[in-house]
Amino acid sequence: MSKILYVIDNNENKDYNYKIVEDTIIYHFSINSSSKVNIDLDKEGVSLYYYYSDINYEDNSFEIVVNHNKSNTHSEVINHGVNVLEKTLNFKVDGVVLKKSSKCICNQDNQIINMSNGKSTIFPNLLIDNYDVDSNHSAYIGKFRDEDIFYMESRGISRDACNRLLLNGFLISSDSIEYEKIKDFLLEIENI
Amino acid sequence: MLEIKNLCCNVKDEKENILEDFSLKIKKGEIHVIMGPNGTGKSTLAKVIMGHYKYEVSKGDILFDGESILNLSVSDRAKKGIFLCMQDPTVIEGVTNSEFLRTALGEVTGEKVNLYTFIKDMEKTMEEVNLNSNMLHRSLNMGFSGGEKKKNEILQLKILKPKFIILDELDSGLDVDSLRIVCQNINDYLEEYPDTAVLIITHYPRILEYIKPQYVHILKDKKILKTGGEELAFEIEKEGYKGVNIMIGNENHE
Repeated sequence: MSKILYVIDNNENKDYNYKIVEDTIIYHFSINSSSKVNIDLDKEGVSLYYYYSDINYEDNSFEIVVNHNKSNTHSEVINHGVNVLEKTLNFKVDGVVLKKSSKCICNQDNQIINMSNGKSTIFPNLLIDNYDVDSNHSAYIGKFRDEDIFYMESRGISRDACNRLLLNGFLISSDSIEYEKIKDFLLEIENI
Repeated sequence: MLEIKNLCCNVKDEKENILEDFSLKIKKGEIHVIMGPNGTGKSTLAKVIMGHYKYEVSKGDILFDGESILNLSVSDRAKKGIFLCMQDPTVIEGVTNSEFLRTALGEVTGEKVNLYTFIKDMEKTMEEVNLNSNMLHRSLNMGFSGGEKKKNEILQLKILKPKFIILDELDSGLDVDSLRIVCQNINDYLEEYPDTAVLIITHYPRILEYIKPQYVHILKDKKILKTGGEELAFEIEKEGYKGVNIMIGNENHE
């Protein structure tokens, strides 16, 4: 059973530091905020799932560093942002595996949807000093796919409702989230 | 029900027409088939009827129930009762089958969908199309096999109850048993709603063993070259499209 943390930022700038010594899931929801997150995987064999969901209206950034300080540690970092207006949104995502840490899994998936002509940037970095690491990263910046919208519209769903469904699916990217704990964020999705 | 008049269409920003002076009339309750070699515009026709963003109509008109639909959005065409069963249905991560179809049903009917009734209807229909009910809560078409995707299309059809159905390469990706189940469900639907018209787009007459058409059209050189009954499809299978050229005396052999 993993420890589950909910973090909600609403129009603020914050730094977070975590020392992970047991399997942990962190749901980080951000409304128009900037944050820096540092995570140390400090116990052999622990896993971390980090879900960052961001609705952005101004110039903001999100930086996260995951340090695999012990062997057999596992990180999955999933960052999804929606840049609503013509502003700047930057993600800097570092996965760090030290030479002393063997057989680690270090993955990251980064996506930003531009709802208008904002400027978005993703820096997906894997800094790996070991040969036996299983690691993947991906980055996508763009709009929702036209083909997805066509498919949904072809079933009678209006463009607005398509966007609403896609935004919900994109920003609430795990089935196990307790909606009660993220009411404000859910309301904000409706306001996009 | 559907009337296509002298339609010319092309990919946006490209000059060459994919269909040229294409005309077709489908009445209530009729089943039509369009066959043709690869790249002749069969799937384009399906997408143009639905209003796909990649194509533009440069000439002609498409009437549905007597009214032009060219200026209607894709969703408004669907709300009028047009349903395109796609050749390769899109995978959409994060949007579950359940919320997708419930939203669609609400938009098509214009009524609030009762969750309990909806779930019960879905479970019953999923059983009919032989889909596992846990797929209801999975992302749309994600991780589905080719056959499951097609069955999911038929599930959507049965829930949304369209008046005009386009089946684009329904048999691709379906094994014999799945094809039988899918076609049985379509036939059941047509029996329940006999005014429904169907346009089948296919390469092979295999599907016509299950769904019996009144008309078979051969699409070639951007328009319909020949129209016949069900037997025409089996002639094509036997003779190929070169054979059709000979039958109609067309000099333009491929």
